[in-house]
Amino acid sequence: MIEAVGLSKHYGATKAVDDITFTVQPGMVTGFLGPNGAGKSTTMRMIVGLDRPSAGQVTVNGKRYAEHRAPLREVGVLLDAKAVHTGRSAVNHLRAVAATHGIGRSRVDEVIALTGLQSVAKKRVGGFSLGMGQRLGLAAALLGDPSTLVLDEPVNGLDPEGVVWVRNLARHLASEGRTILLSSHLMSEMAQTADHIIVLGRGRIIANAPVADIVAMSTGTAVTVRTPDAAKLTSLATRDGVTVTATEPTLLVVNGLTAPQIGELAAKEGIVLHELTPTVGSLEDAYMQLTADDVEYRSNNGGF
Amino acid sequence: MTTLAPTPTAPRSGVSFGGILFSEWIKLMSLRSTIWCYSVLVFLTITLALLFGSTISVEGAQFDAAGEQALAVQAATLSVGISQLVIAVLGALVITGEYGTGMIRSTLTAVPTRLPALFGKVVVFGVVTFLISLASIVVAALLTAPLLAGNGIEADLSDPAYWSALVGAAGYLALSGIFATAIGTIVRSSAGAIAIVLGFILVIPTIVQVFALITMQEWIANLSAFLPSNAGSRMYAYVAESGATDPLGLGGLVLEPWQGALVLLTWIAGLLVLASVLLKRRDA
Repeated sequence: MIEAVGLSKHYGATKAVDDITFTVQPGMVTGFLGPNGAGKSTTMRMIVGLDRPSAGQVTVNGKRYAEHRAPLREVGVLLDAKAVHTGRSAVNHLRAVAATHGIGRSRVDEVIALTGLQSVAKKRVGGFSLGMGQRLGLAAALLGDPSTLVLDEPVNGLDPEGVVWVRNLARHLASEGRTILLSSHLMSEMAQTADHIIVLGRGRIIANAPVADIVAMSTGTAVTVRTPDAAKLTSLATRDGVTVTATEPTLLVVNGLTAPQIGELAAKEGIVLHELTPTVGSLEDAYMQLTADDVEYRSNNGGF
Repeated sequence: MTTLAPTPTAPRSGVSFGGILFSEWIKLMSLRSTIWCYSVLVFLTITLALLFGSTISVEGAQFDAAGEQALAVQAATLSVGISQLVIAVLGALVITGEYGTGMIRSTLTAVPTRLPALFGKVVVFGVVTFLISLASIVVAALLTAPLLAGNGIEADLSDPAYWSALVGAAGYLALSGIFATAIGTIVRSSAGAIAIVLGFILVIPTIVQVFALITMQEWIANLSAFLPSNAGSRMYAYVAESGATDPLGLGGLVLEPWQGALVLLTWIAGLLVLASVLLKRRDA
């Protein structure tokens, strides 16, 4: 269990993390979402004591990370930045990290096998692909068989097989009663892996709820309507709380009305419908709406 | 990937200083830069001693026993002036290599109290450097003694002052490495740390010496004796019972070997205190 209370990190006037309070529960996968610069990585670094909080504190299983007698056995961490000497082989890196906790060679070989690194274990890390580097980072995180895992972008750079493997691993570890906190930019991946989502934006918590609740926050389920009489339906349907967007001359996306309401309206007015499809909100939709005001680095979609 | 549980026989061991020492040993010995630097050290020590022993000519010069011993020490420790640069670079890399690659984050996650990781590093690197230096210097001395004898210089191997100078040379090399590690921890960059350390060894002593010569001020010459490399180099000076002689010819202060060691140790202690404070406070 991870508990953050009033956690803040300021760099000069910039508030990277601004007074956030949350709890990550054991036995489930908690997803950490947010735009770039939202404070996810900084929060994760503060959990394992690499960054010192400007205010507040964060504890793992009731103690600050540095106060644990065997920190690697409490928390396994994979950071987004590289944390391996490029001149050293994978096996020597893991042996060196394991040695601090008196973890033996057999466990090193176990995590190498677990992460599929056998063929490159004796090669120097400098020549590793991004995916191999991620697998080595995961191997290091698992060394102490920790009860809590903090994984920053664990599927970054992994091939599809690796992505599925990380998903299954996270779910499996959570099913064993461990606490899993992972961040990802892949929304579809997060929807499949996480049970609970914490959304950060500009250093603050925007949402903290089960995945289903977050998805339900996606305001106004949209309905796709295809009709040759698009202009007439648009003028009839548009009123307070209802928006109609034409994506093609004969294709409308209606927000604020249900599919039956649109069907009945069309029947009453004698409008022919070729398609009437309610689209369920996705985690991605919910996320985009939640963070719309909090994106620090926005790409300019030409003309807007 | 089905079995995640560790072998149940293993006790759930925690962080220990012994474990940290073993970890730092693995780290030191698993990098090519270490192997290269130590190979260069051994090669330089033995080769330069053999060159000196086989080419020195004392014809026409008269040496007393102490003078001959001083020459024998000089033969075995001739390489120290160059080797200290190699060891200083390695000493800086031991820590700045971790900052440069990000390894420091793994190190400090494994040892979140931080200071034991730094001191484990200093102990392992210092002891390994001392032992390798001492072994190569002793080998150089033993190989060179017959060559010197052939050239009319009889080294007296039963003289404790002779051996303490050789041990002092190995100690000086280890301490210059630790000096560089402390600087590296403070500045966290390989280029910066190496520049500062080389400045301390090569540039600052020369500048101070030039000032002492120009101004003929005794206090500047005395100050020069307290610079880390000047004080440290006294550790391997051969000092017979007659006492130390003035190496710079400036009429300034001349430290006894143990005083030189003490001055260098004070520098290192000061730098390590600063390094510890910064390591503890800064984000990694």
